[in-house]
Amino acid sequence: MLLTTLRITLCLLLMFAPLARAQLVIEITQGVDDPTPIAVVPFAWAGAEAPPEDLAQVVQEDFERSGQFAPVPRADMLGFPTTEAEIFYRDWRAIQSEYVLIGQVSAQGGQLAVRYELYDVLRQARIAEGDLSMPVGEARMLAHRVSDAVYEKLTGIPGAFATRLIYVSVTRNPAGKDYFRLTLADSDGARPIVLLESREPIMSPSWSPDGTQVAYVSFETGRPAIFRQVLATGEREQLTNYRGLNSSPAWSPDGNTLAMVLSKDGSPDIYLMDLATRRLTRVTRHYAIDTEPSWMPDGGSFLFTSDRGGRPQIYSYDLRSGLTERVTFEGVYNARARVAQDGRNVVLVHQRDGQFQIAIHDLVTDRLQVLTNTELDESPSIAPNGSMVLYATKFGDRGILSAVSVDGGIKFRLPARSGDVREPAWSPYVNY
Amino acid sequence: MKSANAPTTRIGLAFRAGPIAFMALAIATALPTQAQNYIDVEGERAAAQSSTGTSTGAVSYGVGDAPSAAVTRTLPPPTPPASDNIGGLFNQVQQLQQEVMRLNGIVEQQAYEIRQLKEQSLERYLDIDRRLAAGGGGAAVVGGTDQTAGSATSSNPTATVGNKGSTVTEQPGEGEAYRAAYALVRGQEFDAAVTAFTRFLQNYPDGRYAPNAHYWLGELYLVITPADPEAARQSFMLLLNEYPDNAKIPDALYKLGRVHYIKGNSDRAREYLNRVRREYPDSSAARLAGDFIDENL
Repeated sequence: MLLTTLRITLCLLLMFAPLARAQLVIEITQGVDDPTPIAVVPFAWAGAEAPPEDLAQVVQEDFERSGQFAPVPRADMLGFPTTEAEIFYRDWRAIQSEYVLIGQVSAQGGQLAVRYELYDVLRQARIAEGDLSMPVGEARMLAHRVSDAVYEKLTGIPGAFATRLIYVSVTRNPAGKDYFRLTLADSDGARPIVLLESREPIMSPSWSPDGTQVAYVSFETGRPAIFRQVLATGEREQLTNYRGLNSSPAWSPDGNTLAMVLSKDGSPDIYLMDLATRRLTRVTRHYAIDTEPSWMPDGGSFLFTSDRGGRPQIYSYDLRSGLTERVTFEGVYNARARVAQDGRNVVLVHQRDGQFQIAIHDLVTDRLQVLTNTELDESPSIAPNGSMVLYATKFGDRGILSAVSVDGGIKFRLPARSGDVREPAWSPYVNY
Repeated sequence: MKSANAPTTRIGLAFRAGPIAFMALAIATALPTQAQNYIDVEGERAAAQSSTGTSTGAVSYGVGDAPSAAVTRTLPPPTPPASDNIGGLFNQVQQLQQEVMRLNGIVEQQAYEIRQLKEQSLERYLDIDRRLAAGGGGAAVVGGTDQTAGSATSSNPTATVGNKGSTVTEQPGEGEAYRAAYALVRGQEFDAAVTAFTRFLQNYPDGRYAPNAHYWLGELYLVITPADPEAARQSFMLLLNEYPDNAKIPDALYKLGRVHYIKGNSDRAREYLNRVRREYPDSSAARLAGDFIDENL
């Protein structure tokens, strides 16, 4: 009896040990030449128990990861003001910090409330302030929302810190089948939650536009099938079970339709599934391979990859006119496009000198710019604010996630502490 | 189950792993979907063949057997051409599909390039229009207009004034004299043209159009009756030695090759023709030289 319990405990331990280690670690590899110094002072805490999270620390790491800011180390701060009256601008000028962020955190009935104030050291004036609150369990998300607000004030671009990622992590198992896990994490890689664990491959995770559901391909039935899963409840549903390919689900911007790739009628083509009625419409008809749909933000057309011209290139399909048009012409290989929210920038995998790299294609100017200089980059996904591109690449012999800004200036890596990570998908903005 | 799974597993990874895998994907996806038809017809074909096989059988003959009428009757029917068997058709369709895809790619690429060229030429036109409107256009036109006359041998008539010529300023009356001589060429009055160009070179030995005059004299000596290949050779050599940077040099080298061929010296001819191909590989003269070697040497 005892032995059995022990064995179960051991099994549980073994099962959960890799989960705990699946967390991503961030290493910034390239930032802007002249990052703006900002001091994120530890926030005041008004509560009986110990604070659930060091919110200022989370904010500070967000700014570090942005590559555009150089947060002042706490050790260099000459004081820890928490109110305007306590700020001595002379002190902050002395350590050459341009901005000071202070805040107060309080807990009330399971809710965590934060008040933040941003000061311009040179002008000696408050330039932003705000009050935000979230459930205690979402303390880190609350901090990310502070980062978003401050980032937008300082750069003019909305932040994308209070967003999340899904990715597939693979733990290699030399003795048998690998472990595949669909993981949900904060945009900084923290708080990983396993959504699905399988001994069969999991692929192509895709967010619903409201950020409450994900669709993905799982081989758990022995063949590829498209599933959707509600994040909050874990409730899931198998949407397809067709003969041949069932892949690349992509949610339409209105959330009503799921584009997907099926080969049930012959060659892989793109189909649209009405999620309410389950009615399936075949959109592309070509004996070549049509795959990897990505919706334009207006929902009236989508981009996809096709080798109908002999080599994989990006095409667009207009649902209103039914016209297909080739989009990319530079190079012999362009695939897996993802359209940014602006409907103008498209990130894709581009082959150059035999290497697969992430590039950004401007739909207005038709220009293509390669962003990365690594060899086997794949699965680009663009942040909802259009500033950063997350992608999978190889580092050493391991699959890791990397991020690059859309101008190529900022780069950082998000390697998992163990195992391989692939196919990241950056969430849309979520309403709280 | 495992085998049914394998091609689809590759699908998802195909775009990741590159074009080779993409091709593998193309094959892998074509197989499971069309395999049903394919295997069926293959089977039918095999059945048909085996049925004919039993009727004709494999007939063997002894060494001493004399051919008889029965033998000719038992010969198997001729093998149907590839297009008659459906398996072969399947392969042909696949080949055609790939060919169409390749051509489709070329058409798309060319349509794109044409679109770009149109945009570029419009931009260029607008740019020129803007410059002309700004009033700076007068000087640029002069060089071009008097050189627009084409010739049967030069596909590059606007470039007749070479590097050397452009540095030499036109002397008073030179332009008119040259154009008058050139008009005689156009009018096919070759003897008169020889006289005109000879006089032109006496009057303007270092003129801006002197190299052109040498070239035309060379051409003219070949077309007058009787032709004078040696005089032509000297004119071309003069051009070659005196104006080595002139735009007419590739044409002159080609003509020198032809002159030597006319004079019966194939080795020298080949030397000049190969020289123009080597030194001016992109010129039309190089192409003409290549054709000439192929046809005559």
